[in-house]
Amino acid sequence: MMLSQRRASWRKRKSLLMLALCGLATLLAITPLLWILGYVLRAGAPAMSLSFLTQLPTPVGVPGGGVLNAIIGSAITVGLGLLISAPIGILAAFLAAYQPNTPLGLAVRFGTDVISGVPSIVMGIFAYTLVVLPQRHFSAFSGGVVLSFIMLPIIIRSTEEMLKLVPTALREGSLAIGAPEWKTSLSVILPAAGNGVLTGLMLAIARAAGEAAPMLFTAFGNPFLSFRLDQPIATLPHTIFVYAISPYQDWRAKAWATAFVLIALVLALNVLARLLVWWRTRQLGSVIR
Amino acid sequence: MNPLRQRSMQPKLVATRLSREDYRDSQESPMSKISVRALSVYYRAFRALADISLEIPANHVSAIIGPSGCGKSTLLRSINRMTDLVPGARAEGEILLDDWNILGAGVDVVEARRRIGMVFQRPNPFPKSIYENVAYGPRLYGIHRRHELDDIVERSLRQAALWDEVKDKLSQSGLAMSGGQQQRLCIARALAVEPEVILMDEPASALDPIATLKIEELMQTLKESYTIVIVTHNMQEAARVSDYTAFMMIESPETRSGIIVEFGETNQIFTRPKHQQTEDYITGRFG
Repeated sequence: MMLSQRRASWRKRKSLLMLALCGLATLLAITPLLWILGYVLRAGAPAMSLSFLTQLPTPVGVPGGGVLNAIIGSAITVGLGLLISAPIGILAAFLAAYQPNTPLGLAVRFGTDVISGVPSIVMGIFAYTLVVLPQRHFSAFSGGVVLSFIMLPIIIRSTEEMLKLVPTALREGSLAIGAPEWKTSLSVILPAAGNGVLTGLMLAIARAAGEAAPMLFTAFGNPFLSFRLDQPIATLPHTIFVYAISPYQDWRAKAWATAFVLIALVLALNVLARLLVWWRTRQLGSVIR
Repeated sequence: MNPLRQRSMQPKLVATRLSREDYRDSQESPMSKISVRALSVYYRAFRALADISLEIPANHVSAIIGPSGCGKSTLLRSINRMTDLVPGARAEGEILLDDWNILGAGVDVVEARRRIGMVFQRPNPFPKSIYENVAYGPRLYGIHRRHELDDIVERSLRQAALWDEVKDKLSQSGLAMSGGQQQRLCIARALAVEPEVILMDEPASALDPIATLKIEELMQTLKESYTIVIVTHNMQEAARVSDYTAFMMIESPETRSGIIVEFGETNQIFTRPKHQQTEDYITGRFG
């Protein structure tokens, strides 16, 4: 009796200690995040205003001005990258998940590993020789292409993992009615893995939206408002780069403000995706537990 | 249930089925819907089923019982060619649906699976609305008009004894229902493509007793229009629901191939089994 009581109290103390350690680790993990956000906010504050989102850049020394061109440019290049990489990535993920040991499936999985290890600046040079040189000028299109290279492995990896979580019973259920394999994949398995796939796409977008290095070789930047795919275009990370290395005080403040805009936009997109996931789960239920 | 009693209870069926009814009334063995002939199924080098022959009677419930690993599910799954999905699996012999050998060369697997539906151990509704779950099959076969689909969905859900419970919430997720309802939704989903045979792989093993009872009652109504084959671990269930029973076992511990020890009317299997092994299994002396 005495012994079991003593053991119980020791167990409770041990549990408390572990809980405290977990809390501490969590705190350590979110500290840098809050620190960065706070620092960016403070440093960018002088340049920040609502018009920063709606105006075009002004020359050095001219007060006001904004990054509307870069917001639109980032949306166009990331959107184009997603448009190219999402269908290819999702289809390739099916191959990797369901035919992992066929030559093609092995190639996809090995290729994904290799691409995700390539530095983004190398991707930039690759897209430069592939798209920019034949076209003979920088363009939003080439920016979209290089971002699709960066997004592709992320999309394949995350989609593959999510597809593997869909219970086999669901696939069998569809095949047993007589549905062909492709129909089963597209109208049963993909929707069942939908939330996870969506999360993977968000990861890819977040990663691509923050890429500055490959943009030096492709989208190149543009101080004016442009919607054209065949012309150079400004992007948020590239704008941060240009402003941050400049010797002008007001531009450097603008670099911080732009960084804040970028973080806020990616965060907003993530919240939107979370809402969509929540709504889908409420509507359809989830087979992945 | 006693097949003799069943027969007198059964209402007269539609005209096309009359010939079969007559056949059944003539005191001979009923017409078989599925003939399994010398079926062997291999998973690579392993022979999972050895030389199985079986005549599954039309418009009856046939149960397959036997200890774990004796090939019950493999037999059931080869009847609608779900074994095709296992890499390295191949089947020899014949499985005739009426006179059509579904193991023959160049057979349209999709057509075989449409005519032979399947219900699984765990309810597996799609993450779609109740309506979409049932309409999924008919859509595959080219039915897209709304009123036609509405009719099929209602008919299938009525046949699965689910309509009254879900008619006001057809747009709700199929996953939001109870386990028993989900299983009946899966039955409705299988019925929507108008199969002739329904295979059930331990359909009630994941359900509570009340939901189990509903599924078992459902089988009794469904057998008027469909041929039902059920795999079960539960011998009481086999005795309750089936008219015919097949007892399977492994041939020997060395080969581990599944064979049919005995097939006959459920009454006979459970009261006067012809083989010692059947009796031992049914009375719980091994298994």
